[in-house]
Amino acid sequence: MMTRFQKNYRVVKELVRLRFQNLMMFRLGFFGPFFVDGSMFAIQLLVFRAVYSNIDRIGSWREGEVILYIGTFSLLNAVSMVVSFFGVIDIAPKIQSGEMDLYLTKPVSPLLRLTFEKVNPGSVPLVAMSVLIIIYGIGKAQIVPTAGKIAAYLFWFAVMEILYYCMEVLMRCIAFFIVSTAKMERLEEAGLELCMKLPGIAFYGVWKLIFYCFLPYGIMATLPVQSMVGEMSWGLGLFGAAVVSAFCLLTCFVWKRGVRRYNSASS
Amino acid sequence: MNVIETENLIKTYKRYKKKEGIRGSIQGLFHREYEEKNAVNSVSLQIAEGDFLGLIGPNGAGKTTLIKMLTGIIAPTSGRIEVLGFYPNDLKNEFKMQYAVVMGQKSQLFFELTASDTLRMFKEIYEIPEEEYQRRKKYFTELFQVEELMNMQVRTLSLGERMKMELIAALLHNPRILFLDEPTIGLDAVASRQIRSFLKRVNQERGTTILLTSHYMEDIKMLCGRSIVINHGNKIYDGNTEELFERYQRNKKITATFEHAPGRDFEKWAGEAFRGQAVTILENTPYKKVWRVAKENANHVLQEIMRQEPADISVEEEEIGVIVERIYREEEAYA
Repeated sequence: MMTRFQKNYRVVKELVRLRFQNLMMFRLGFFGPFFVDGSMFAIQLLVFRAVYSNIDRIGSWREGEVILYIGTFSLLNAVSMVVSFFGVIDIAPKIQSGEMDLYLTKPVSPLLRLTFEKVNPGSVPLVAMSVLIIIYGIGKAQIVPTAGKIAAYLFWFAVMEILYYCMEVLMRCIAFFIVSTAKMERLEEAGLELCMKLPGIAFYGVWKLIFYCFLPYGIMATLPVQSMVGEMSWGLGLFGAAVVSAFCLLTCFVWKRGVRRYNSASS
Repeated sequence: MNVIETENLIKTYKRYKKKEGIRGSIQGLFHREYEEKNAVNSVSLQIAEGDFLGLIGPNGAGKTTLIKMLTGIIAPTSGRIEVLGFYPNDLKNEFKMQYAVVMGQKSQLFFELTASDTLRMFKEIYEIPEEEYQRRKKYFTELFQVEELMNMQVRTLSLGERMKMELIAALLHNPRILFLDEPTIGLDAVASRQIRSFLKRVNQERGTTILLTSHYMEDIKMLCGRSIVINHGNKIYDGNTEELFERYQRNKKITATFEHAPGRDFEKWAGEAFRGQAVTILENTPYKKVWRVAKENANHVLQEIMRQEPADISVEEEEIGVIVERIYREEEAYA
């Protein structure tokens, strides 16, 4: 008997292999996303450029830190798009149509299967471009990237990528309990769009509470950047870890409860 | 040994009863009335290992809901349920390794890829060693006679071919129980017959317990030693399939088509030939005639029609709905 990890690894490998084969059935379908995602990314950069060309500083951050922030958020988003986004957005429609039935009857985690079922190589260039922006931001902010800073940045980036994934899943799991999730997805879009443009340090009062605790998009790129620029305190670190743990547990709980509550649309 | 046991199994759905018009909608914002409907109502059953069991009932009878509870897709509202020693809705992988489900209207194949590609995925999911996988794949592709279709894109296959692939995918891990929800839906007569014969072999050669739901009486009659009839969520018959047909099937439907329209003499002939045979004409066009005939007279009537040299003739069983209605009426009369 294989261990659960070995089995999951082999299933994920096979899912990725199938996805590549599937995408390669249509040449335009395979190469198209490289162009589309690249163009969208360029447009986004132009928007940021326009927004920040007239702003000297946000809180203690100057242009370099803001560029690093934008690069970090883009990277979070790009990694999610490569790995899980296109699979996860299918969760709600699959619940509503009853297609989830076939996932629940297979001896492998339905969430694992859904997560890795639609990996998207078309977004790989976004990852590369985001990394370039991050490097440019570090240079512009005149940060000396020591091994400790890089390790801390990578650690917080990985932790926040998990939070990003949890939020994506959580928003879709709501379909287990209510009929339409369109409004929740719009809320997610609005939160992401705002926090992609505005770092967490710009929020105060109730906004900070909302975007740090309830819709924690505000901390996603902020904490990795703060660890790189040397603004990370123990308190902030503990807070970040607590938020991520809370959302991981909440997602796990909602998913499990949702699966038990699943009513399966009639055939 | 029983592989499936349920006792007073109930599944209740709550439905919002909206009052008519905008006023009703506004009222609904503050106070809602719900109606409870038992999709499955107090069903108790035991199924032994190796059984081939038919689950019959009209649309909305509760067949699919029952299958969904037995496979763990949905949780029952109340009652006891045990499949292979597990409570299905715990969704344990050890349980899911031991059964398979095929739903006629939901495909588990990757449409853009080949059936072989899907099988490889299932090999990983069910942890089948490579050698064993190749051996089973060979066995099933030969049994279903689909060797040359394995490397075709699934979307290019016919409905019948696709169903064969679905069955191979379901049987690949050698499940102890196979749940089939309307596997022959939409298939033509030839494909349905093939699927039936494959299922019979799988049940006999591999000892797989099969639970089949179908609208088609032919499926049930050909395959299932035991049948359960469900209507409005209630089990109204549980017993031998032959006995079910013997007791409740009263009529057969005979359809004859003619190359040349039979003239007036035909009507006269029919009146005489069918006298006292309890024959009702259901459709009467110049080239096609459909009769409902009492089961015991079907042979005689068929011989008479054959004398008129029809271009084509078919004999069909009564539809499921008619039989269910008959059982229901008799049960009510006894009650």
